[in-house]
Amino acid sequence: MVPTAWVERALTTVASQTSPIIHFEHATFGFPGVVALEDISLEIHSGEFVGVIGPNGSGKTTLCRAVLGLMAPLKGHLRIFDCACDELRCHHRARIGYLPQKGAVDRNFPVTVLETVMMGRYGTLGLFTRPSGKDRKIAMDALAHVGMEGHRDSALGHLSGGQQQRAFIARALAQQPDVLLLDEPTTGLDITTQHNVVELVQHLHEELGLTVLLITHDINMIRSRVDRLVLLKTRLYAAGPPAEVLKPDILSQVYGKDLVITEKDLVIVEDYHHHH
Amino acid sequence: MLELFTYDFMQRSLFAAAMVGGLCSVIGVFVVLRGLAFMGAGTAHAAFAGVALGFLMGWPPLLMAILFGLATVWITGWVEEKGRMKLDVSIGILYTATMAMAILFIGLMKTYNAEVYGYLFGNVLAVTSEELGTIAGLSIVVIGAIVLFSKELYFIAFDQEMAEASGVPARRIFFLLLTLVALTVVVSLKTVGAILVFAMILIPASTAYQLTHSLSTLTWYSVLIGITCSVGGVLISSYWDIPSGPAIVLIATVLFFVAVLFSPKKQRRFLALS
Repeated sequence: MVPTAWVERALTTVASQTSPIIHFEHATFGFPGVVALEDISLEIHSGEFVGVIGPNGSGKTTLCRAVLGLMAPLKGHLRIFDCACDELRCHHRARIGYLPQKGAVDRNFPVTVLETVMMGRYGTLGLFTRPSGKDRKIAMDALAHVGMEGHRDSALGHLSGGQQQRAFIARALAQQPDVLLLDEPTTGLDITTQHNVVELVQHLHEELGLTVLLITHDINMIRSRVDRLVLLKTRLYAAGPPAEVLKPDILSQVYGKDLVITEKDLVIVEDYHHHH
Repeated sequence: MLELFTYDFMQRSLFAAAMVGGLCSVIGVFVVLRGLAFMGAGTAHAAFAGVALGFLMGWPPLLMAILFGLATVWITGWVEEKGRMKLDVSIGILYTATMAMAILFIGLMKTYNAEVYGYLFGNVLAVTSEELGTIAGLSIVVIGAIVLFSKELYFIAFDQEMAEASGVPARRIFFLLLTLVALTVVVSLKTVGAILVFAMILIPASTAYQLTHSLSTLTWYSVLIGITCSVGGVLISSYWDIPSGPAIVLIATVLFFVAVLFSPKKQRRFLALS
């Protein structure tokens, strides 16, 4: 059985060099009667830094759930690591490091920073395998990558918002992932901390060669850092280098009257939270 | 008081209390953290309905308790997963429905059966050697499963969706947890009774929750508190001749409020305010 497994892995490696690691083909997602994302065609290649933008309710989080293999398309196809997403196995999922939206996780849960980061090892290890010293080392390295090694025994709930995000990014890194998937990582943080978090993500992308998929509604925060922007509002309006996507005519289709473009070409989109 | 330890029944009940106390307090950690408090209470009443049916039909009561308990947790787990309705509503319905069944089954019995009420209120001092064997066997199964799957259980208690996204088979682990809760309730029926078993699951873990910020420390504190309360309760109940179930639960409750008063978490909040 060993040679078969090895050949399979080798074939996967060859395939990943030629084909995209995430591939949407005319994929539609939602529940019966509710379409969250419609007819999405998108390829994400290894080593890319892709920003996903769009107003609230535009299907950003649905895209996130789809990439995690938590949602299969109603129509069309989605392939992740060259595997149909509804056949995605646990060891595939472990290759995607995920930072959930703030608020999705109970921040007062009695857990230390190191215990949180160690959880990143659990899926990779699989059932019946206890974390070893090697896993602890990987977790400590992950903490060092986000500059949090001094906080390993702190309670997660005692950290500041920015430090908590760093701890959660370290948890994702402990999976030793190929892809880092971040859902609104800067929401609820002050401006300086927002910049620090995005800077950290860019640094990890460059240093570790991680493919990054960053979902946000803050266009200005990421426009100068990403290779490509994907503009969503149920449908995919544009995907390409920031300069090609951030054009008044394209943006106004998605944001309508909430769009303000200043003389310095800064795109300011009104905070959609106020409209709800 | 020391001569109490020389009696066979006393040794049996202390053993039973220590096992049940330890077991409930370990599973309680996951119940409290995963927010399944009400589900445990519902399971206890369902298990009691199983016991009543067992006595009515002459079937093994503990086996019936296991069947009823498992059916309840699996149905509620399935409802939560499907998101058809709020979890507390579906448990509330099953809780009352199984209690109605229990009352019905008891009503259908032609004679008064004191043993049935033993399962409702619990009497650890009346535990037989055979029951002690069953308790020990089931405890080993439950504790073994918890040890084997502890990292996955902690992860789904922290965040089930994140666990699933990270490659943990979270759904199956969630149903494993529900199954373990049902088994724990059944194991504890005879000692603390259907009404009070849930206190034994909830209180030690909640008390430990006040005292630490670490998952592993939380678990050890919970076990320590659970065993201390159970053994202490049995000693007090036999010394002063009071019912054992209430003695155990009331000691645990007192400890809980002491922990709330002296919680370092609370002091930290206070310091943060001042």
